[in-house]
Amino acid sequence: MSKLADINGVGLGLKRELIPQIQRHFQHKEADALISNIDFVEIAPENWLGAGGQYAEQLAWFVERYPIACHGLCLSLGGPDPLNTNFLKQVKQFLSDHKIPLYTEHLSYCSDFYQNKPGYLYDLLPIPFTEEAVHYVANRIKQTQDILGQRIAVENASFYLKAPIATMDELTFLNAVLTEADCWLHLDVNNIYVNSINFGFDASDFLKGVPAERIVYSHVAGHYQQKPDLLIDTHGTDVIDPVWALLKEAYALFGKFPTLLERDSNIPPIETLMQEVDKIMALQTAAANVTRSTQSAV
Amino acid sequence: MLDFQQYQYAFTAHIRDPENNPIPNNVDEERMAVYREGVYQNIFESASVCFPVCQATVGGKDWHLTIRRFIASHQASSPIFREIPKELVTFLETDIATPAYIKQLAHYEWVELAVNSMPDAKSDLSETPDLLNEIPVLVPAHMLLQYDYPVQKISATFKPKQTETTHLLVFRNVDYAVNFIELNPMVYMLLALVKQSMTGQEALIALAEQMQHPQPVAIIEFGVGVLGDLMRQGAVLGSRKLTNTQRI
Repeated sequence: MSKLADINGVGLGLKRELIPQIQRHFQHKEADALISNIDFVEIAPENWLGAGGQYAEQLAWFVERYPIACHGLCLSLGGPDPLNTNFLKQVKQFLSDHKIPLYTEHLSYCSDFYQNKPGYLYDLLPIPFTEEAVHYVANRIKQTQDILGQRIAVENASFYLKAPIATMDELTFLNAVLTEADCWLHLDVNNIYVNSINFGFDASDFLKGVPAERIVYSHVAGHYQQKPDLLIDTHGTDVIDPVWALLKEAYALFGKFPTLLERDSNIPPIETLMQEVDKIMALQTAAANVTRSTQSAV
Repeated sequence: MLDFQQYQYAFTAHIRDPENNPIPNNVDEERMAVYREGVYQNIFESASVCFPVCQATVGGKDWHLTIRRFIASHQASSPIFREIPKELVTFLETDIATPAYIKQLAHYEWVELAVNSMPDAKSDLSETPDLLNEIPVLVPAHMLLQYDYPVQKISATFKPKQTETTHLLVFRNVDYAVNFIELNPMVYMLLALVKQSMTGQEALIALAEQMQHPQPVAIIEFGVGVLGDLMRQGAVLGSRKLTNTQRI
């Protein structure tokens, strides 16, 4: 049975293309250390909930061998339609059935109330940063935590458009929601970088302003540069150096925390992806050394 | 409605139907396009993977317009990604601009995805199958289907002008492969009766009566052969005993 403390070290987002490759290397793990740095994996409940056949078999295989974190996409915490409590109850059952200790979601919305009827749009849309929205979203997070009977984490989402009605910046909004909902932070390091370019703020300043004590784990990923001042969070390329630098800075500031590589499109073979997984591991090891030397110096 | 929700309403209304809903006030067109096109691309790709024959038959331009109408006027109710194609099938059912044979073709293309991921269920099978005196058990991941058009033959070069009732059994075998079997109307009826917890013999006698067949024995012999074939193909798993409660 996995528990929250098992979500530790380095993780990899589980994509269908990767499953046979991971299974093959796992079988020969005595002789083959390629995937030895994968400590945990992450799945989206929207991809796995209710799926039978080969999908159920694959999920069972991973449940037996890896701690799993659930990272949702469609709960629509900022959505104008009522929170989908029926879906949440299914998620609760799913977490329980597969011994998944953690559920996280995006600080965004993916549904609307078009012509007085709720409907999903299946994309991460930007919540306008207003006082009203803080209370609204925090309430929905609390409602979620009540239904699940456990604390969730919310992720700082990437976005491309600042609502003209916004009355505060992203960091203020994020902190206000986390405090009011009393939930964890799923820190996406790439999203800080993407937003810093898209909106012209200092990524390092943003990082220094997040509540470190709420970080449950973090993400790194690659993105697509559409224009010098417009990055699209595709998870379809390698992680770039400024994002690695930001992760390193985060470990130095807060001490190391679990970190997962997301790769959702243009997926290379596992051998290539593992170079980035191993790099996270190396940064964590280096960060641990820093902490130790600091402590011994004190 | 809260103030920020009024903005959200205008924001998603534009994403859904940009021709009829302007970009919200003071919002940058280039940044808005990222969302408008992102939502469209996600849904278009999901639909293209599941409906290659529909797309080829309808043609690129009309398919694009179909997806546009879907986004503009359908409120998808499922947060599950693999159910996006089902949402499109549901939308097409009432879409006036879509021909009837395309509506059915879309359903047929969706069936493969649906059967592929259908939940597994435990079946209580007798140790030795008796397809005549017990209830034949179909593999849980299956669909028994009737269409008004020969959906499996539709393509860019074959667009049916008239209806032709078509019966299909679609099932997932033990190797997780989805199989399609075209059925004649009699076998379709036989399987429909068996699914209502009739024994093979009861179903075949009912069938012979319905057909007013002069030689019910011939129907029974034929039916047992068919069920045996389906078992060899992996569509029928075996049989289960009739219990009293199942009839109530």
